[in-house]
Amino acid sequence: MAAIATLAHVTYTYPGASKPALDDVSLAIGPAEVILLLGGSGSGKSTLLRAINGLVPHFHGGTFAGRVTVDEFDTRTARPAELAARVGLVFQDPESQAVMTTVEREIAFGLENRGIASSAIARLVEEALISLGLSGLRRAPLSTLSGGELQKVALAAVIATQPHLLLLDEPTSQLDPVSSEELLAAVRRLSEDTGATIVLAEHRVERCLHLATRVLFMEGGAIVVDADPQAFARWALAGHRELLPPVARLFARRLNGGAKAAAEAGRLPLTVKDARGMLDDVAGQLESFASPAPAREGDVVLEVRKLAVGYAPGEAVLEHIDLRLRRGERIALMGENGAGKSTLVRHFNGLARPLAGEVRLLGRPLKELSVAQAARDCALLGQNPNDYFIKDTVAEEVDYSLVQMGFAGRQRNELCSRTIVDLDLMDLLMRNPRDLSGGERTRVALAAVTCGDPALVILDEPTRGMDPLHKAELAALLRRWAANGRCVLVVTHDVEFAARVAGRVLVVGDGSLLADGPAHEVLNGSLFFSTQINRLLRHSLPGVLTEDEVTWGTSLQ
Amino acid sequence: MTLVAEQPAAAAGRVRATGAAARAARATRRYGLARTRPVASLAYVIALALAGFVITDPLQLVALLAVLFAALGLAGKLRASLPYLRVALYVGGFLAILNPLFSQGGLDVLWQAHLPLLQIRVTIQGVAFGVSTALRLSAVLIAFALYNLVLDPDDQLGIMSRFSFRSGLVVSLATRLVPVLSRDAERIADAQRSRGVELDRGRRRDRAAARIPLLSALLTQSLERAMDTAASMEARGYGRGGRTRWQPERRWRFADGATAAAAGLAVAALIGGLVAGAFHYRFYPLLDDPWAPLADPWWLLALAALATPLFVEARWRR
Repeated sequence: MAAIATLAHVTYTYPGASKPALDDVSLAIGPAEVILLLGGSGSGKSTLLRAINGLVPHFHGGTFAGRVTVDEFDTRTARPAELAARVGLVFQDPESQAVMTTVEREIAFGLENRGIASSAIARLVEEALISLGLSGLRRAPLSTLSGGELQKVALAAVIATQPHLLLLDEPTSQLDPVSSEELLAAVRRLSEDTGATIVLAEHRVERCLHLATRVLFMEGGAIVVDADPQAFARWALAGHRELLPPVARLFARRLNGGAKAAAEAGRLPLTVKDARGMLDDVAGQLESFASPAPAREGDVVLEVRKLAVGYAPGEAVLEHIDLRLRRGERIALMGENGAGKSTLVRHFNGLARPLAGEVRLLGRPLKELSVAQAARDCALLGQNPNDYFIKDTVAEEVDYSLVQMGFAGRQRNELCSRTIVDLDLMDLLMRNPRDLSGGERTRVALAAVTCGDPALVILDEPTRGMDPLHKAELAALLRRWAANGRCVLVVTHDVEFAARVAGRVLVVGDGSLLADGPAHEVLNGSLFFSTQINRLLRHSLPGVLTEDEVTWGTSLQ
Repeated sequence: MTLVAEQPAAAAGRVRATGAAARAARATRRYGLARTRPVASLAYVIALALAGFVITDPLQLVALLAVLFAALGLAGKLRASLPYLRVALYVGGFLAILNPLFSQGGLDVLWQAHLPLLQIRVTIQGVAFGVSTALRLSAVLIAFALYNLVLDPDDQLGIMSRFSFRSGLVVSLATRLVPVLSRDAERIADAQRSRGVELDRGRRRDRAAARIPLLSALLTQSLERAMDTAASMEARGYGRGGRTRWQPERRWRFADGATAAAAGLAVAALIGGLVAGAFHYRFYPLLDDPWAPLADPWWLLALAALATPLFVEARWRR
């Protein structure tokens, strides 16, 4: 069958860049394919998507060589606006892609641009609203929607135009597990019901590998793997295991590793359903060595009593919160988009003042301190690393924070050196933070808030848009910090990351703290807020969350 | 484990059910003028602003302000209008104080001073004129606030696009940009506070100086956001040509028709009264009787017309 889109030897360099973002990429995309596009930050995934819909080179400029065709259109001559009827692109950040201010108008925008008759627009808008469960929000201003709802609106706006080819650039990076499942279910429905071709760039492989009919892996602007999911899984076994879903990693450990074993490996499970079928024969050989939850015995860093948080009296988002966070603890704070997680942690360093109750930081009432004074003891990293960058180099950023926190002389130098080593910034010191990749920016912003050696480190959604390798590095760093006596609190939607990092999990929702306990108990048995491994083994090995906590019987090793 | 209320999975499901429904209801609920069809609301706001320009009698202006506040209140926008009211208060107060000091007209002298280069002569007439000017300015500003708060930017775009879609889109994007910029600025300031930067200490000048370095971050993010929005527009076919225009179907209610008719009547009464001299209140050399204009038929007609939408919408409020 003829390809819907083809790329022939495409090489592209952004204006002012020294290296190409796409390097001799050739690809044919067939009808009804669901292609999962994987690769680290800066590997060229977004650029590839933008090349397919013509934004590269028309919108971004730069140097373009090779040829991209979509249906009969050559993107060198056809502008993105002309391709819009065939190619729909959902961007990573739902907020900046919105043009109008209410849901139904936003969905209608693309249809109006295509010159569709007003009566047809009404029907198409209605269908798009229904297909994504947005009917109740049709007249809602976009400014009142959560990130998940906004991303659904963005998808609805593209679906409404009925493109042949749908490109999705990390659409779930800002969503909670439930919203992510809903969004991906809508994508799957679209693929099954309409036969639309979908190219999905994602980092969270466990969520979408099973949806794919084909997997591309990019590195340095080139496609290094182009295979079906099983062939990709076998390739990943030989040195890129972090790219595999946890259940696949679990079964991969039955092999002794190496390319030969990988080549000889049979079918690997990609979903819990797959794995359950394969587990029947070997379940008895699995043993858990999950360690019991550590006793909470470190000094109290933060104490919260009867806290009520919100934006106006009588409109509390969360109430009756009582918490004690201790040194050495690794805590994950979870809950639905809009449940009040970020609002809650803003009260832990004084950025927001409570409606009621009290917060004490290292024994001192927080209301007696300014945020800047609290910064030495409580580091809070917000969701957007760019908010921290006001200097021209990474070195200046770190030094500026230390000066602002009141450090001077030898202590300042020591803290600066320690931070640079701790966060592996040596090679980046003279770079402009804004020129760095997403993962590097997070590290620099983290350095800017933690350089004063605070007792409490809070990170709000640090893994948004982060590739698996950087996620693993961040998890290791947070574990190290906690082992050294810091208290680490991570606000996250990423259950797999939470399971890897946290010993204790808090769940907020419905205006209160719903659960507070060891990760092995809180994340055990949940439908969405639980890991793949837990969903697989919850009956045979309850409480197990990650594949690292399970071992196969020695006879099989 | 402390399960504070229930198992997280069940809790998460419940949260979604209650949270999403409540948010949807909250987001789409509209009151008063905000429920009225955009064309009717726009006509009404224009009539109110015209009244602010035309009327000069202080007591009539007080009545007009009462109508404006009632309209804001019925739309549930009183709190949101506080920034506009603050501007009206500052600018109006400035005018009310300054005018009597520099206006030399009027016969009833309250206080005078002879300075080397300046003779100050404060009269009752000067004070009354200053107050009247402040009230007029406030009325126009509050009418503008009503326009901004009640008329959805997409509705504004819908109205403007009948004449020029591009201009309407620029206005719509700019309207969207203001709250986004404000949120960005707030977030950047919070990020800087979280790394130890004192932004809230010292005098106003010091606090402003501490925020200057933040502008670069704000500007960069705004540019990046603008680029993303532009890319999104192009990817969604903007600029392809042959664009159509879609208006969501909204049933014409009695209140819509009544508001539009009342606005038309008010404009007619205001223009008629202006031509007939009904709104010409004399401040100098002696004040006219401020109560007399309240009984003028043109004024009564205009007031009745301007007040009608309030009663109609209040009746229709559920």
